[in-house]
Amino acid sequence: MEAYLNFSNSNIWLEIWPEIVLALGALFILGFDLFRKNNSSSSGILAIILQAALLFIHLFDYLAWHHTFDRDTFAGMLNHGIQEDIMRSFFLLSSLLVSILGHQYLKGRKLRSGEFHHLTMLATAGLMILVQSNHFLMLFVALETVAVCFYTLVAYNRESAKSLEAGIKYLIFGALSSSLLLFGIVLLYGVASSPEVWGANYEYYVGQDPLGFQYLGNLLEANPDHILLRAGVVLIISGIAFKIGAAPFQIWVPDVYHGSPMPVTAFLAVSSKAAGFFVLINLVNGPFLGMADFLLPLFGFVATFTIFFGNLAACGQRNIKRMLGLSGVAHAGYLLVAVMASMHFAGDSDRAIWVLFFYLFIYLFASFSVFGVMGLAQLEDDTEHEFSHYENLAKKHPWMGFVLVSGIGSLAGIPPFAGFVAKLLLISVAYEANLYFSLAALVIGVAISIYYYFGWIREITFHPRPSFKDDENVHAKDPWLQLSRIGIFKLCMLSLAVISIILGLWQGPFGDAF
Amino acid sequence: MESVTPQHFLVLAFLLFGVGFLGVVLRRNLLLVLMSLELMLNGVNVALVSFSRTSLNLDGSLFVFFIMTVAATEVAVGLALLVALFKKRQSVFSEDISLLKN
Repeated sequence: MEAYLNFSNSNIWLEIWPEIVLALGALFILGFDLFRKNNSSSSGILAIILQAALLFIHLFDYLAWHHTFDRDTFAGMLNHGIQEDIMRSFFLLSSLLVSILGHQYLKGRKLRSGEFHHLTMLATAGLMILVQSNHFLMLFVALETVAVCFYTLVAYNRESAKSLEAGIKYLIFGALSSSLLLFGIVLLYGVASSPEVWGANYEYYVGQDPLGFQYLGNLLEANPDHILLRAGVVLIISGIAFKIGAAPFQIWVPDVYHGSPMPVTAFLAVSSKAAGFFVLINLVNGPFLGMADFLLPLFGFVATFTIFFGNLAACGQRNIKRMLGLSGVAHAGYLLVAVMASMHFAGDSDRAIWVLFFYLFIYLFASFSVFGVMGLAQLEDDTEHEFSHYENLAKKHPWMGFVLVSGIGSLAGIPPFAGFVAKLLLISVAYEANLYFSLAALVIGVAISIYYYFGWIREITFHPRPSFKDDENVHAKDPWLQLSRIGIFKLCMLSLAVISIILGLWQGPFGDAF
Repeated sequence: MESVTPQHFLVLAFLLFGVGFLGVVLRRNLLLVLMSLELMLNGVNVALVSFSRTSLNLDGSLFVFFIMTVAATEVAVGLALLVALFKKRQSVFSEDISLLKN
């Protein structure tokens, strides 16, 4: 009875109110959509308003009213702190932007909008639980909630065989990676659940939860050379490496980015990757810290390989969505350097984590400006964006051209935009952690990336080819005819570009990390 | 006569996982790929239950229920996608449905 009381007292439901509201809101939208006409978009507006309000209240909640300190709830299943709260606002912001993009995207197509927003919000609730999880059971369940929502979202465009194919590819690779992750968890559990591994220090074992992060942290610190534990840790990290698209598991990235609808590509690029990185940094600084000596060379190899693979493969792409996917792989490589740096500052790793946060936020603003403008193009097949479609966009539609260029500039790291500062912070933190080899790979990778990003900027801003009258037939239809008809959406996109420039010039509290 | 020990269960679990993994990597029929994915998860389940039994810790046995639920959702989504894809392309073989190329 007492054990039960202790357990129920640790369930503090108020700590996860944003997730509960989001999930209930998602259900409400699904029900609301039943009573609407097929092509009605009012559920999209409802979803946008709901998420904007939630983001606003959540920001106030932890900034002003109710500061969260590091605390465990739900019998050690979840852990809340300021970092987790920042990630929760990150996901809410990203999901709000996905809903805005999706609203604009679905309006012109014969697709129901209710399910799209429903799945987006459920995936976000799962992501928010995922970053707070403090127990491998919770981590697995949250990860799968997110993954199943994403499989459906990627295949959302049921009329297109490409979208369905991307969905099934993502499902197969995703399920494969989650089985690897599970097998890793099982190996850790197998060692952790038996008291033999502790030998004489039997008291560490008594009354502990063998899947909790704290207990596994103690176990790995005491036995860093145990072969089964090492195998388990490597399998878990490979499962997460799939989510972030790191090197040996990047094979799905170009195909899935290519086939999925544009807002979902943005969602995958931003939220799924950010969640993977936060979980990774939580794990390597929490339970896996005892194995840092074993993991650092592994991460160094993976990061270098990821950076070079992503950048070199992106250079040869004609399709812009594939190119962005591969450049996302390269970004994952850069961020892995930050993860390595955080392992070097063991115990006092906050600096590297703040750099990672800053980079993720900049990546969010840049990605959504790029994918938002790309989603506006009216192509016959919206998976086939090529460079030639963007010819002279800056002259035809100066504002959208500006937003797109600012997004690309931020991704590439060109000075007036925030991406430059983010990369600079990353390089400085890598230098401080003495990661000279990875630092060299990072700088070379950024230099290569300038090539393909600038190829795109050149198409947008300059007039690369002289046009003759006969050439007019080549593009039978201008994909940018619809642009003059959108109002509020344009403002949202512009504000993203303005944020990227402001953050490039003034970093606020993040600037202290220098 | 030799009795069945935890090691036997672990070998079985590894074998199931390995057969499933090879099936996912090598098979061309997407239905069989989905079945192989299930086989991998079942290998994980066998390992979990045997670990849980040997150490008399119930967490592993509980975990199995979550894995079974997740496997069911994954297969539900996978089969739905496969049916939709079959309607479009009239095939479930991976070489017939690959449109996403450079």
